[in-house]
Amino acid sequence: MNIIVCIKQIMDPEIPTGKFKIDPEANRVIPSEGIPPVINPFDAQAIEVALRLKEANGANVTAITVGGQDVEDVVRYAISMGVDEGILVSDEAFKALNSFVTAFILSRAISRIGQYDLILCGRQAADRDAGHVGLMLGEMLNLPIITMAKAVTLSSDKFRVEHVITEGYQVYEVGMPALITISDEIGPPRRPSGWGVIAAAMGKEIPTWSAQDIGVNLSDVDIKSVRSETIRLFIPDSRRKGEVIQGNNVAEASANLMARLRADGII
Amino acid sequence: MVEFDAIIVGAGPAGCACAYTLAKQQLKVLLIERGKFAGSKNMWGGALYGPVLGDLSPEFLKEAPIERYVKRRILSLLSEESYFSLESAVNNESPDVPQDGAIILRAKFDRWFAEKARKAGAILANGVQVEDLLWKDGSIVGVKVGKDEIHGSVVVACDGVNSILAQKAGLKAELNPVGVKQGVKEVIKLPLETIEQRFNIQGNEGIAWEFLGKCTRGLPGGGFIYTNKDSLSVGVVVQLNALLENKVKANDLLEDFKRQPVVARLIDGGTLVEYSSHLIPTYGVSSTSRLFSDRFLITGDAAGLVLGTGLILEGANFAIASGIAAAKAIVRAKETGDFSAKALSHYQRLLEDNFVLKDFKTFKKMTHVLENPRLYSTYPDLVCSLWHKIHTNDGNPRKSVRQLLKEELKGRVSWWQLARDLIHMGGSL
Amino acid sequence: MSVTKMQDKLAVNKYDIDNDVHILIDEDICSRCEHHRCIYACPADCYTLENEHITYSYEGCLECGSCRIACDKGSVKWILPRPGFGVCFVYG
Ligand SMILES: Cc1cc2nc3c(=O)[nH]c(=O)nc-3n(C[C@H](O)[C@H](O)[C@H](O)COP(=O)(O)OP(=O)(O)OC[C@H]3O[C@@H](n4cnc5c(N)ncnc54)[C@H](O)[C@@H]3O)c2cc1C
Repeated sequence: MNIIVCIKQIMDPEIPTGKFKIDPEANRVIPSEGIPPVINPFDAQAIEVALRLKEANGANVTAITVGGQDVEDVVRYAISMGVDEGILVSDEAFKALNSFVTAFILSRAISRIGQYDLILCGRQAADRDAGHVGLMLGEMLNLPIITMAKAVTLSSDKFRVEHVITEGYQVYEVGMPALITISDEIGPPRRPSGWGVIAAAMGKEIPTWSAQDIGVNLSDVDIKSVRSETIRLFIPDSRRKGEVIQGNNVAEASANLMARLRADGII
Repeated sequence: MVEFDAIIVGAGPAGCACAYTLAKQQLKVLLIERGKFAGSKNMWGGALYGPVLGDLSPEFLKEAPIERYVKRRILSLLSEESYFSLESAVNNESPDVPQDGAIILRAKFDRWFAEKARKAGAILANGVQVEDLLWKDGSIVGVKVGKDEIHGSVVVACDGVNSILAQKAGLKAELNPVGVKQGVKEVIKLPLETIEQRFNIQGNEGIAWEFLGKCTRGLPGGGFIYTNKDSLSVGVVVQLNALLENKVKANDLLEDFKRQPVVARLIDGGTLVEYSSHLIPTYGVSSTSRLFSDRFLITGDAAGLVLGTGLILEGANFAIASGIAAAKAIVRAKETGDFSAKALSHYQRLLEDNFVLKDFKTFKKMTHVLENPRLYSTYPDLVCSLWHKIHTNDGNPRKSVRQLLKEELKGRVSWWQLARDLIHMGGSL
Repeated sequence: MSVTKMQDKLAVNKYDIDNDVHILIDEDICSRCEHHRCIYACPADCYTLENEHITYSYEGCLECGSCRIACDKGSVKWILPRPGFGVCFVYG
């Protein structure tokens, strides 16, 4: 079985709050000096699922990422967790990408890999929390998609997937190949072992594919067709305070809330 | 099974210098660092003195992330009311010779240095912690990392002051509070122009400023300010035992220090961007210290190679030099395939021949003098007050210096004691 | 710059806080200790005395190792946090 995991690096979410800065003009986050990016935690969970499938059934796991020149570390991290191969899709042109273009590039790169039975993505990237790429990629590759999986197992050539819903989960079965996005209910991913890190550091060069290698010309992509645009990026006012309105049951709590809102003149 | 020629534990200055040197000689080197990147667990003052970096590669002086070069070195004695300074300056137009000291921030520098070792061919494993040595038939054969065992012909402990490995190998006793100093530091951001203005520097010029006296409430140690590019490193260093005995927190001393008018003016309007702390091994190495055993070497802070007494705080230069010496001894051992203590003793001979252990001998007497508590309380007060009085004209005829000195000494220190201290100081130089 | 409170100082630092604690104390020993040297050893105020009891936190630890050697009663067990966790200096 061949599994491909799409991974992404994000700005470290553990940046001290005072150091988190944005550029409101450009609608972008200013990277904090000296704090290296990390693997998107949801993607690490997708890798975890791939590795569990590999341990249970045997598989070859490939991690793939799209970005500028500085994203090799995230692929090495995946290898140190136990992934077999890494691929870096990297081009000067691939610096500031939106979800659609990322999915498009990934679809081309994955087509170049050719043989695969399962594609895994994290449920979303923890920086923008959009959760678009997985869905768009599945669509572009014409694959069945199951989102928000909290467990994936293989039985007689079909994946059994537990898909998280508000009240619990639904169980799906899907044939190969398929695309599944992984939810955080899967639990914390493994941390690389010491030897894992050393082996990854000793490992071979990570193949890097350019736009040309995968036959992508960004000017051919109809970017305007992607109607996703950031209107305003801002840091919410932190002086707001939260308050929990209590009550012995929902009805009572609701009544207390109404009373409180009236008292404050809000309604 | 993979077997490395050398496993180097810790990617501080010592480990990076050692790994770089070995990798350049085509040895199979593993450099292990517990931080998520080299430097992420390290802090210091600080300035790197001496030519060691350029000795490794002349390009390093151009490439290394150096904040500024020390243009002026200032020593100030702080008293309650005033301070007295000695200042030395380098007179060349642009002081880019690192002998004068290169001011560095470690998170940037160590990361760069480790990357140099990696590019030279060392395997760099970040985020990996060595927990123990790996033994076979009474001999060290590698290190333990979690459940994994990593094999190597020789292990080099470059794991800093809290070295686990030097102790496990039986070369070092447990640290004690008398033999270490604690450093605390704030990095304070200020606009580059403000720093240039306040310190009267330009371009890549920088200031290394040490303080004795009031800033440690008379405890053995001192305060420091280093100018980075667009921030200041402001800290104090005090013997740990003195903190414990006097029930004082180093951070309270740092806050005192920041309130000193001379310091307050320099940091005014700045923003705190980091607060850090680290121990300094000041117990000193003696001629009987052994820094090697079978298939094992210790370097840098792990070996206690720091001159850290009051006026002088140097360790990174000794760390780099010892890392290089260790590498040289290993290259020699590799040629003969003999990694025994006898073969590796070459390391200690190299240290004795170069400046590292020679400096320790030179400063050994000085260490004694610098332990004199009067140096941190009585004398700074005395000098400041005397200097002040010599220059004060209150309308009355001034007294002779001799008379003033006599008055100043009264109740503080006897002539006899002063004479003894001066003789000791003179003798130690 | 005015006096900075410890919690504000530590708040500017970058930490990756582990759920595993890397500091342990033996409360029995601490309750019999007469000098609580840990309080003065720790530059991050991880140890505090509350109603005659030593309480401690590990999250703000700067990993200097002072408490380990300051405690002469054998109470403080300080080890390095797991790799990838703990303080992460970005200036140093
Ligand atoms: C406040 C202060 C001011 C100073 N000022 C100066 C100055 O101005 N000039 C000067 O020359 N020196 C100064 N020093 C001293 C200098 O910082 C040290 O002597 C020098 O850093 C020693 O280098 P090292 O490589 O031996 O150890 P370190 O720099 O301590 O490096 C040890 C490395 O090993 C890693 N490590 C530790 N244990 C493990 C493990 N088990 N597994 C894997 N990795 C591990 C650590 O993360 C670290 O990266 C100062 C020190 C302090 C604390």
